[in-house]
Amino acid sequence: MTLKRHAYVWSHAIYAVNKRNAKFQLDMAALLRGLKAGRALRSLGSVAVQAAANPQSSNIRRGFHRAALLRVHDESKNPASSSSSTPHHEHYQAHSLPADEGTSTSTHEASAGGAATGQEDPQVNTSYQDQGGEQNEDYETEEQLAERILTAALDFVPQHGWTIEAIAAGAETLGLSSASTGMFINGAGDLVLHFVGHCNTQLTEILADQHKHVQLGQAEQKKTAEFLRDAVETRLRMYIPYMDTWPQAMSILILPHNIPHSLKHLSTLMDDIWYYAGDRSTDMNWYTKRAALTGIYNTTELVMLQDSSPDFQDTWTFLDNRIQDVVNMAGTAKQVAATGEAVAQGLMGAAVTLKNMTGLNQRR
Amino acid sequence: MYVLNFVKMRGFTSAVILFRQLNKGINRSKLTECLPRYSRSYAVIPPPRNSEEKALLAAMLRVDHAGEYGANRIYAGQMAVLGRSQSGPLIQHMWDQEKRHLQKFNEILAENRVRPTALLPIWNVAGFMLGASSALLGKAGAMACTVAVEESISEHYNSQIRALMELDPEGYRGLLQIIKEFRDEEMEHHDTGLDQEAESLPGYQLVKTAIQLGCKAAIYLSERV
Repeated sequence: MTLKRHAYVWSHAIYAVNKRNAKFQLDMAALLRGLKAGRALRSLGSVAVQAAANPQSSNIRRGFHRAALLRVHDESKNPASSSSSTPHHEHYQAHSLPADEGTSTSTHEASAGGAATGQEDPQVNTSYQDQGGEQNEDYETEEQLAERILTAALDFVPQHGWTIEAIAAGAETLGLSSASTGMFINGAGDLVLHFVGHCNTQLTEILADQHKHVQLGQAEQKKTAEFLRDAVETRLRMYIPYMDTWPQAMSILILPHNIPHSLKHLSTLMDDIWYYAGDRSTDMNWYTKRAALTGIYNTTELVMLQDSSPDFQDTWTFLDNRIQDVVNMAGTAKQVAATGEAVAQGLMGAAVTLKNMTGLNQRR
Repeated sequence: MYVLNFVKMRGFTSAVILFRQLNKGINRSKLTECLPRYSRSYAVIPPPRNSEEKALLAAMLRVDHAGEYGANRIYAGQMAVLGRSQSGPLIQHMWDQEKRHLQKFNEILAENRVRPTALLPIWNVAGFMLGASSALLGKAGAMACTVAVEESISEHYNSQIRALMELDPEGYRGLLQIIKEFRDEEMEHHDTGLDQEAESLPGYQLVKTAIQLGCKAAIYLSERV
C-alpha cells in the first residue's frame, strides 16, 4: 500500500507539475528540481546497492521521490551549507535538522537512506525492506501530511486568499515542493473545509471543557439562551482573522461539489452546540431546535461579513435579538398549545352539559 | 376534519374525545425532553469502533425508538375506542409496558446522541389511526392488530439480536439484554392477542398481512430517514 501511495504521489507530482507549468510559472523551478533529483538519484544509487537484498523497481522510484523531497528540504532548510557535495554529509545534515518536527517524513527517509545516520535512532529500519510504515510511529499518513500542509497554508490566506497559491506557499514552509498541491484535487475547497472542520473541533473542545467544569461543580450551567449566544459568538470570532477573505471562502463552500461536506460540518456543529446546551430531546423538537439555531448562525455570519463596527458589536447585538426572537416564539407556541387545549376542554364541557340537559347522555 | 371522515362514530362527543387523545399524544412526547441530565450511572452501549458501526447502531436505535413510539400510539388509539369496554384493562396493561419500552429507548437515544426519525409525526397519526380503526372492528379487530404488529416487532428484534451477536456479543451485552427482554414482552402481547381470539375476526389473514406490510415499510423508512 505504501509503495502504491508513493508511486501515486510521485506520478501526481509529475502530472501536477506539468499541468501547472502554464499557470504558475514554476517551469524553471521544476526543471531545476528535476536536475537535482537526477543528481540525488546518482548519489542514492550508491546507497541503494548496499541497502536491500531485493531492490525492487518501485523501491528505487520511492527513493527517487524521497530524494527529490529531501533535496528541496535540504535547500530550503540549509541554504548556507548546501555547497557540500558528499552524499553522506548531506543526508546526515538533513537528518539532524528536523529534530523538532517530530513525525516528519524527511527524518524517516533520511535515516532510511543513510548508513551513517543509523546510530541516531536504533530501531529505525535502514533497509528498503519491511517499510510497511503503518505501525511505525514516525511514519506519517497522507491524511496527516495533508492536514499539516493545510494548517500551514492558513497563514498565507490573508495574502493569497483561499486559493491553491496559499496551499503551495504552506507546502513550501514545510519544506515540500509546491507540486505537492497536486494532492488536493479539490484545491481551495479542501483548504476552506479543513479550516471549518478545525474551527468546529476547537469549539467542541471549548464546550466539552465547560461541560466538564459544570459537572465537577466548578461552574454554573448557563441558561440556554445565554449558552447558545456564547457558543455562536465564540465560533464566529474564529473567523475574525480571515474576515477580509471570508466572502470568498463562503462562495467556495456553496459550490455544488462542496455542499454535502459543508452541510455535514454545519449539522455536526449545530448538534454539538445543542448537546452541550443540554438538549436531550428525542422527538420533533430535535429537528426544530437545530433548524432554528442553523438559521440564527447563518444570518449572523452574513451580518458579520459587512459589519464595520468596533469588535463587531453590531453582529453580537443582532445575534442577541435573533436568539430572543426564537425564545419568544417558543414561548408563544407553548401558549398557543395551552390555549388550544383549554378551548377544546371548554367545548367538551359545553357538549357534556348540552347532552345532560337534553337527556342524551345515557350510558348503555 | 379528517378524524370525522375516517371514524364512523356517533355523536360529536366521541370525535372530541378522539381529538383530545390525539393532542395528548403529541404533548406527552414533550415531557421526554425534561430528562435529568447527569443521572446516567452506566452506559448501556460501548462506544462504536468505527463510523460504519456507528451508523449501523444509530439506525438500529432510531428504528427501535420509532417502533416503540408507534406501538404506543397504536395502543392509545385502541384505548380511545375500547377503553371503557371489557378489554380495556388488558389493553391498558399492554400499553403501560410499551410506555416503559419507549422511556428506555428515549434514554438510550439521548445518551448516545442518536437522531430520532424525522417521520415521528407521521407515525404519531398513523399509529393512532391504525389502533382506533382496528378497535372499531371490535375486540377481535383490536387483538388481530396487536398480533400482527407484535409479530412484526418480534421478528425485527430477532434480526437485530442476530446482527449484534455477529458484531460483538460481549461488548453489546447490555443492549442485547434490553432487546431480548423487550422482544419477550412483545411475544407475550402476541400470545395474549391470540388467546383473546384474534383469529375469529373475519378477514383475519388479510388484515394481518396488510398491517405487517405497513410495519415493514415503516421499519425500512425509519432506518433511513
